[in-house]
Amino acid sequence: MPRRPRRHQRLKSWPITFSPFGRALARMGSVSKPKRHSESIENHTPSSSNGFVKHPLDEKPEGSESSDGEFDGVVQADFAFFDPKPNDFHGVKTLLQTYLDVEEWDLSGFVDLILEQTTVGTVVKVEDDEDEGIFALATALNLSRYREQKCIIQLKDLFLAKASQEKGVADQLRVLLGEQAHNVGLLVSQRVVNLPPQLLPPLYDSLFNEVSWATEDEPTEELRNSFRFKHYVMLSKIYKHKNPEQKRKRSDDSEEAIVYVKPEDEIFHKLSSWSFCFPLRTQQPAPHEMKNYRSMGLIMAVEADKIPTFRQELGSLINES
Amino acid sequence: MATRLQFENSCEIGAFSKLTNAYCLTAIGGSENFYSAFEAELADVIPVVKTSIGGTRLVGFLSVGNKNGLLLPHTTTDQELQHLRNSLPDQVVVQRIEEKLSALGNCIACNDHVALAHTDLDKETEELLADVLGVEVFRQTVAGNVLSGSYCALSNRGGLVHPHTSIEDLDELSTLLQVPLVAGTVNRGSEAIAAGMVVNDWTAFCGSDTTATELSVIDNVFMLRGDTRPGDGFDGMRKSLLDSYK
Repeated sequence: MPRRPRRHQRLKSWPITFSPFGRALARMGSVSKPKRHSESIENHTPSSSNGFVKHPLDEKPEGSESSDGEFDGVVQADFAFFDPKPNDFHGVKTLLQTYLDVEEWDLSGFVDLILEQTTVGTVVKVEDDEDEGIFALATALNLSRYREQKCIIQLKDLFLAKASQEKGVADQLRVLLGEQAHNVGLLVSQRVVNLPPQLLPPLYDSLFNEVSWATEDEPTEELRNSFRFKHYVMLSKIYKHKNPEQKRKRSDDSEEAIVYVKPEDEIFHKLSSWSFCFPLRTQQPAPHEMKNYRSMGLIMAVEADKIPTFRQELGSLINES
Repeated sequence: MATRLQFENSCEIGAFSKLTNAYCLTAIGGSENFYSAFEAELADVIPVVKTSIGGTRLVGFLSVGNKNGLLLPHTTTDQELQHLRNSLPDQVVVQRIEEKLSALGNCIACNDHVALAHTDLDKETEELLADVLGVEVFRQTVAGNVLSGSYCALSNRGGLVHPHTSIEDLDELSTLLQVPLVAGTVNRGSEAIAAGMVVNDWTAFCGSDTTATELSVIDNVFMLRGDTRPGDGFDGMRKSLLDSYK
């Protein structure tokens, strides 16, 4: 389990680097300056693994910290986005441990695949954390480019096995995983449960921006084409209410039919071309509020054209919460 | 020759199994692959017993044992204790002990002759170790870590310790334990040696992330090169080859 972010002072300046993500922020004039609001969760600072740092902007240094010896529930953290590195193996593997429930598959191979693809993929760590704990991961893998890899073969077989119950969807899934695989990206996004939601818009922005830059920057024509995704397929976890009919009797909707573990999944689900759920084999003991729900896996496909809508809606969802 | 395997996608097989020269314990659950891997190597020679300890699957972390005996924490249930007494050979003494540091596997590393123990272990437990397991107990840290059991894997032929152990510490420990020691890693750079592997005098099992380099280091230090068989007389030669000062 990655360590909790330690309290420390915010960085004095705003390093901007030569990574594509850094370029995006340089272009975006209205980059939100990290604000100190009462929850004191700081925003991201971009930096890249090759260590280039410039200091064009000066920020007022934040000098105050919570009083020593007293933990009043507020933790300061500076999160930074990095390209995946081979060193991140153990952290990323921990995050992906439950990706395919309890199925035995080539998880290490899958992690290696993600870490090798440095052009598209982001890991979120805390600045200056010696432990190098990974807090979040987002990447998109072209299903055709990696179709020979054992882990991808196992993954495809598993998805198709889970879909076999749902007649209509199974065929669409088979097409996406088979003939159309060169246009399909597997979107993998995992994080620790208590990651501040303010990090989500920049995280997804960086991912989709990297995808579009890869279509221009990759050295070979084949690689450039491999990032021209038309569809994204993703696997997530949700909680479904055990008795959906009961809900209609109650006028108050204090109990939703579906609870999404990751908030952006609600938007993806709404925009998806198709989706289906399947029961998960491990049923973890649920906290009291969740006793009426059971955890299910959700596989859905989203068209790449819908992504700008997604980014917009994610921004407004996070801002209003 | 060391074998690579995993338990339900986890490479921490030292958590879910315990291997000695007289028996092997494995956790219940997961797929049959885990249990079969042990059976394939060991079935003709020593019993492979499926068990839980205190209702958990962490048999490796919670218990400590060698060919003479097995010590279990106070959380072990009566049924589990009985099951183990029934399944293990008669010469293995199975005992449940009252020790506040109940993760015995993390606190104590031992082979058939010596044990490295957590510095805060009870005096009573130390005496029980000497009595039941027939070992000489040394309270030692490994690379500054008190959990000697976690950071050291020990057999009668060699030992693998935390990668950051200094040369002086290596020499000192090697003299105490009377076996060659090497500082290394398992499972692709993991420092928790005992969590990632189990070993006895003729075979070893490591997590599936273990690299070929790590595997060859393990084969070398534990002398598993394939030309050895269980009980091939090394113990007999040991007394004449190594001095011990009482």
